[in-house]
Parts: sequence; C-alpha cells; structure tokens
Amino acid sequence: MKPLGLSGQGEKTKREKRYGLILAVLLALLLGSVLISFWIGYYPLAPGEVAKAFLSRFGYRGEVSSQAVTIFWSIRLPRILSAVLIGASLSVAGSVYQGMFRNPLVSPDILGVSSGASLGAALAILNGAPAWLTQIAAFAGGILAVGCSYLISRRSAHSQTLSLVLTGSMIMALCNSGVTMIKYVSDPNDVLQQITFWLMGSLTKTDMGSVILAMGPMVLGLAAVLLFRWRLNLLTLEDEEAQSLGIHVRRYRLLFILASTLLSAAAVCLGGLIGWVGLMIPHMARALVGADHGRLVPACGMLGAAYLLLMDDLARSLLSMELPLGVVTSVMGAPFFVYLIIKRKER
Amino acid sequence: MLLEIKNLAGGYGRGDIVKGITCQADAGEILCVLGPNGCGKTTLFRLLFGMLSPTAGEVYMDGRAGKELSSKKRARLAAYIPQNHTAVFSYTVLELVVMGRASHFSAMEAPRKEDREQALLALEKLGITHLAEKTYSSLSGGQRQLVLIARAVCQSAKILIMDEPAANLDYANRQLLMDVASELAGKGYCIVMSTHSPENPFSVGHKVLMMKEGRLAAFGVPGEVINPASLEEVYGIPMDVVSVRDRCGKERTICLPVKAAGAGMGGRSL
Repeated sequence: MKPLGLSGQGEKTKREKRYGLILAVLLALLLGSVLISFWIGYYPLAPGEVAKAFLSRFGYRGEVSSQAVTIFWSIRLPRILSAVLIGASLSVAGSVYQGMFRNPLVSPDILGVSSGASLGAALAILNGAPAWLTQIAAFAGGILAVGCSYLISRRSAHSQTLSLVLTGSMIMALCNSGVTMIKYVSDPNDVLQQITFWLMGSLTKTDMGSVILAMGPMVLGLAAVLLFRWRLNLLTLEDEEAQSLGIHVRRYRLLFILASTLLSAAAVCLGGLIGWVGLMIPHMARALVGADHGRLVPACGMLGAAYLLLMDDLARSLLSMELPLGVVTSVMGAPFFVYLIIKRKER
Repeated sequence: MLLEIKNLAGGYGRGDIVKGITCQADAGEILCVLGPNGCGKTTLFRLLFGMLSPTAGEVYMDGRAGKELSSKKRARLAAYIPQNHTAVFSYTVLELVVMGRASHFSAMEAPRKEDREQALLALEKLGITHLAEKTYSSLSGGQRQLVLIARAVCQSAKILIMDEPAANLDYANRQLLMDVASELAGKGYCIVMSTHSPENPFSVGHKVLMMKEGRLAAFGVPGEVINPASLEEVYGIPMDVVSVRDRCGKERTICLPVKAAGAGMGGRSL
C-alpha cells in the first residue's frame, strides 16, 4: 500500500539499544550498594578490612581482626543476601501481579500471601515454635492462603481476575482477624511482643541458615518468571484476546501465580512484612525500560534488590538504634503511592 | 470452506446461550453477524476461540474440528480483533502488534527478528508504519483499531474475527474500518464481523447471520434474508429496508426504524 517508512526492518529500536545500557547501570548500582552495605553499620568496616575479611576464607593469611571476619561472614553477608533476594523477589512478584491484574496499583499481597504468612507465623509463635519452624509455618501459611483464594475463585462466575481479587481480599480479611485473635489471647509480655516484632518486617535476625532455606523457592520462582516473562505481556490483555493469540490463558495465569506466590511467601518468611517494594519498583522500572515485560522483569529484579538493600542500610544507620525495615520502606513508599495517584489523574 | 459452524451450541454451564447456529464463510468473504445486545454474539465468538467448549455441534476451521485444535494451532487459523480498547500499560504500537506472533515462537522466547519484520510488514499493509514507535494508548480510536487489525494480520491467520470494529468510532473512521475490512477480504481473508448497523451487510457483507436469543434467525445473502420481516423479528421494532441511489448512481440499501403517524413512545409514556 505505502512505501516503507522505517529503514532497516526488524532492526533494534532506540528503546532496545538503551535497554542494554540501563541494565548495565542497574547492575553497577546493585554491586555498588552491596559494597557500601558491607562498610556501613553499627561497627563500620573500612573497605580494606572488608576485602581482607572476604579473602580470609580463601587462604588469605594477612592481618585481619577476627571481629571483622565474623561481622563480614555471619552478620553482614546473610543480611545483604536477604535484602537482595527479598527486594528482587517482591519486585518481580509485584510486576507479575500488576501485569496479570492489569492494574498498576496492585501489590504482591493481593491474593493474601502476606496475611496468610502472618497467620502462620503467629500460630507458630503462639505455640512456642523455634525460629526455623516459624519460618516454615509462615511460608506454608502464605502458600495456603493463595491456594484458597485461587481454588475458591474457580467456583465464581465472574471473570477470573475479578474473582481472584474478590476471594483474595476475603482470605486476607480472614487471616488478619486470625492474627488479631491470636494477638488478643497471647501473653502481652512475651508472645505478643514476639509476634509484633515478627510482623514488623526486619532483617535483624537473619542468619545464613534462614537465607538458604528461603533461597530455594525464591530461585525457583525467579527462574520461572524470567523464563516465561515475555508471555506476561499477553496476560495483560483481555482474556479473549490473549486466548486468541494462542496461549492457554488459565494455564499461564496459574504458572505465574504459583511462581510469584513462591517468591512473596519466601520473602515474607525471611524478612516479615516489608510493604510497598512490590508496588513501587515495577513503576520505577517501567519508567526506565518501558512496559514490555521481556525487559521489565529483569530491570525490576535488579532495581528492587538495590533499593531494598539501600533501605536496609538506612534502617540500620539512620539512628543510633535500628529501625524496622518495614517502617522505612513504608515511610518511603506511601508518599510515592500518593504521587502515582495524582499523576494518573492528571493524564 | 474456511469456516464452518455446524449446529453449534454452548454457554456458561447453566443452559446454553448459543443454540444451534449453522453458517459458513469462505476465503474472500465477509460474514456479518447481526442481532440485538445479548443475542449471544460474544458467546459465539468465545466458542470459536475455544474459550468455551461447545455442548453440541462443532466449529471447523480450514476443515479441522475445533476440539482437535490447541490454542496455538487455532491462533494460526483464526485471529480476533477486539473492540478498540485502551491498554493499561503503555506498550508501543510495535510491542503490541508483535504480540500477534505469540503462536509462532516458543513460550520461553521473546519475539525474534523475523517476528519483528512480520509486525512491521503488517503495519505497512495497513499504512500505519509511522505509528510503530508511538504509545498505543495515546492513539485515537480509529488508529487503535487499525493497530489491532495489524496485530491480527501478522498472526498469519486466514480467518479474522472482528467484534464490532466500528463501535465507538466517529463517522469517517467507521467508513475507514469498513473499507479496510473489504480490502482484506479482497486479499483472501475470511472475515467474521459483528455489527449493530443492519445496512453494513449490504455494503460490505457477502453473507449475513441474524441471531435472536442465541438462535439462528436467518443466514444467507444480505439481499435475500434482510427484509422488514426478519429485521422486526430480530430487533422487535418495525423497520423498513429502502433502496436509494447515491450521487455516483450506485444503488444503496439502508434500514430505517419506522413509526406510524401519531404513534407515541411505542406505547410507553415518558
């Protein structure tokens, strides 16, 4: 009909070329934040000490205080790993849910994963379970809650996304009242305190054991989302459209729900309730690399990891006492949410 | 025959919504689907895509029975063009159009070079190459509809199913969409199009399917099956079919609702 207006068919567009650069910058940001996070804290380590402490495990025989080695390997490393893993998991899960529910104001909690995990943890603490069991109970609680939301939604006559949102908020309400009930009956001087602290969201108590425990489901979830990430684009369309483009919509939706539930449940069981990350980061990433999930998901993962790590640095260095991480992310995130709403109205 | 629907019935569990529809359309033909709101057009389309399984009857695409087709195979035979919508996320036109290639590469891949080429080719066919890098949601309704058609074209399916392509468009764009549909039919596509204007089948349709309450009211050539009686049966109001000559001397047919002189609000009072 008309002569070709675009030279070089199928060539990379400007956006795609920029994408490589942005990914490189994000990677540098992440590595930089990791380095900084080793230095700062209640017991600051000089960059040289960090390097020596690191090398001490690999046959380095130079002078390095045993304190620095312990701080590096047993305190900062697990903490940094958790922040990176939780940040990446929550952000990737957030981008999946926002895409799937075609709503940029959705966060990974939408199907009740955090509430279920809180209930699981509260139940475990009430029964005097050790920390590792509390972690597993939280994980199981999160998975169970999403499982219930999903299975109940299948019985509904509404469209699948709408029914998922409805059953999700129902499950959330149930779990939250369960947590309230447990808090109400528990001993205010002991159990109640523990539950409250657990729910606050903090990385103070992370050790290598819990990191490794949470890493399995996180790696699995991240791998699944990364592998199939381009197909997420299709799920952001109406069901009829997506189906007519040749995918089995319900099957893919189940796959992505499974993967992001693994991600957010593992994140909650490792760090407690850390809000707003899964909501904010996908937006920032979208502003950087565009809406295409092929590019969005990797950018989200890196940006989220760096962001949560820096927030955790703030949490442990802002005041002389440590702030709960969940509080820091909320204080930073809530104004951002308001900004989003105002910006959307203006458009 | 590219598309054959045989005695098709289906719905959402509690009783059938589509009841016994039979019709056919071949390459190069436009099949218009007429009927009031809620007559089962959407359900019929969902049955065509395999989103619903028929309770009776079958759909044959290019001779293959619907129940034997995977979503992927079906996507290579039939493409769907929804009513123009706004995407929630700000995809570029090219990103949205290349989604039409989803059935051509594996689930773990992103669109390859040849898929991008096909997408650009489809934009070129519809004369909207200049929109490639624009944000889809910022386009006008008519442009968005053209983009959705381009996506269907690069899907490489021979059957195009359009859900009210003219809905929510202004007059000039409606005409443009009808012209595009005719042009595509001329290139050998088989087009199924639902519409709310009963004169559409006269100007672009080779065949028309009239539906009422999920049942087949009439199927055939527009000039033979669209008449005052069938229109009144389907829409429930008296209608006339009038022939006029336009300034080029071409015979045109239009459908008009009629009201006897002195009749009030159809028996209702305001």
